Amino acid sequence: MSMLARSTVGRMAAQPKVLGAAPANARNMATLREIELRLKSVRNIEKITKSMKMIASTKLAKAQRAMQAGKQYGVANSEVFQNAPAEEPAKRKLFIVVSSDKGLCGGIHSSVTKATRRIFADKESGIETDSPIMVIGDKSKAQLSRVHPKNLVMTFNQIGRDIPTFSDAAGVADLIIKSGVKYDSIAIVYNKFVSAISYESAVMEVETEEALKNSPGFKAYEMEDDVTKDLAEFSLANAIYAALVEGHACEQSARRNAMDNASKNASDMISKLQMQYNRGRQAAITNELVDIITGASAL
Amino acid sequence: MSTLCLLSTTARRAPKLLVSQCHSHAEVSDKIKLSLVLPHQSIFTSTDVIEVNITATTRDMGILANHVPSIEPLCPGVVEVIESGSVSKKWFVSGGFTTVHPNDKLTIGVVEAVSLEDFSWAVHMNLQEALKVAAGNRSEEDKMDKMSHSSGVESISTMQIGMITL
Repeated sequence: MSMLARSTVGRMAAQPKVLGAAPANARNMATLREIELRLKSVRNIEKITKSMKMIASTKLAKAQRAMQAGKQYGVANSEVFQNAPAEEPAKRKLFIVVSSDKGLCGGIHSSVTKATRRIFADKESGIETDSPIMVIGDKSKAQLSRVHPKNLVMTFNQIGRDIPTFSDAAGVADLIIKSGVKYDSIAIVYNKFVSAISYESAVMEVETEEALKNSPGFKAYEMEDDVTKDLAEFSLANAIYAALVEGHACEQSARRNAMDNASKNASDMISKLQMQYNRGRQAAITNELVDIITGASAL
Repeated sequence: MSTLCLLSTTARRAPKLLVSQCHSHAEVSDKIKLSLVLPHQSIFTSTDVIEVNITATTRDMGILANHVPSIEPLCPGVVEVIESGSVSKKWFVSGGFTTVHPNDKLTIGVVEAVSLEDFSWAVHMNLQEALKVAAGNRSEEDKMDKMSHSSGVESISTMQIGMITL
C-alpha cells in the first residue's frame, strides 16, 4: 500500500518536470512512456465515442421519424381529454416516469427525475405525498428510489433499447391496470423533444374512467354502450406509446450530443498530450546531447 | 352497403336542431377534420374530408360534418374516406376507437391499418387456404393458430368483408 502511494507521489512530482528541462535520467523516460500510453488510451476512447456518436446519429434519424407519427397519435388521443377536462384537480395521481435503461446520454434521466421531484416538492399542487410512482427504465428508477422509495410501486425495464412499439406500451398499460394501484388521475412524466440539440421534461395527463364519467364535457359525447372503461385503457396505452417514442428520440439526440462533446474533449486532450510528449522528447534529446558534448570536451 | 350507410347517417343526423345550436358560428363547413392515425404512421392529420364510413362494433355508420359528438369502438373492418367528390379510399383497420368531437373533428385511432390497394393476390390465396383449414376438423386452437399464421390477420370473417368490398 505504502509503495503504491509512494509511486503515485513520485509520478506527480515527476510530471511538472517534463514541461521544463527534464534531467536525462530513467525517470524522464518513464514519464515519456507514460504519456505515450495515455495518448494511446485517449485515442482509443476517442475512437469509441466517435463511433457511438455515429450510431446515435443514425438511430436518431429513425427515432425522429417514429416520433413524428407517434406524436400525431398522441395528439389525436388527447383530443378527447381536451374536450372533457376533469371536473376537479386530482389529489392522488399516478406518476409514470418514462426514461430508459442505458446511460451515456447526458441528463436525460435526471431531467424526468427532477421534474417528478419538483412536482412532489411543490406544496401548492395539492398532490398527496403518498401518490404512487411507476418508472420505465432502470436509470430513473435508481434515482427515484433514493428520493421517494416508498412511492415507487412498479418499475419496468428492457424497454426503449430500440424504437418502442405499440405492444411495449400496451404491455405496460396492461400491467398498470392489473396492478390494482389506486389513483384518481395519471400523469406521464417524459422528455419532450424541442430540437435536435435540446429537450425538456413535460407532463402528459391521462384521465381515468371515473374522471371521464364525472366530467361535464364528456357527457356531450354519445355512446351506444358504455365504453368509457375501454376508452380510458386504450388512451392510457396510446399516451404511454407517445411518451415512449418521444422520450426515445430525446435519448438518441442527447446521446449523440454527449458523444460529440466527449469526442471533442478527447481530441483536445490528445493535442495537449501530444504537445507534452513532443516537448519531453525534445528535452530528453537536448539533455543527452549536452551530456555527450560535455563528455567529449572533457577528454 | 352504401344505402345502409346513408340510412344510418340520416339517423345519426336526426338531432340536427341540437347540433346547429352547438355550432352557432356563421358559416357551417360541410367538411369534417379527420385524423386517422396509427402508432407508426399518420394517414390523415386534420385533413378536411366529406365523409367517413366506419365499421363500429354496434353498426356500420357514416360520418359527415356536424355530426353529434360520439365515441364508437371500432371492430376490424374497412374504413372508407371520401375526401372530395366521389373519390374514396379504403383501409382495412384493426380495432381501435373513433371519436367525433364537438369542434367538428374526427379522430380515428387504430393499432394497424392497411390500404385495400395493398392487399395482394398472395393474401387472397392465403385466405383461401385459411378457409380450408377453418372448414377442416382440427381443434379450435390449432385452427386459430394455423389461420393467423397463413393469413396474417386475426379475424377471417372481417377479412372476407375486406375482400368483398375490394
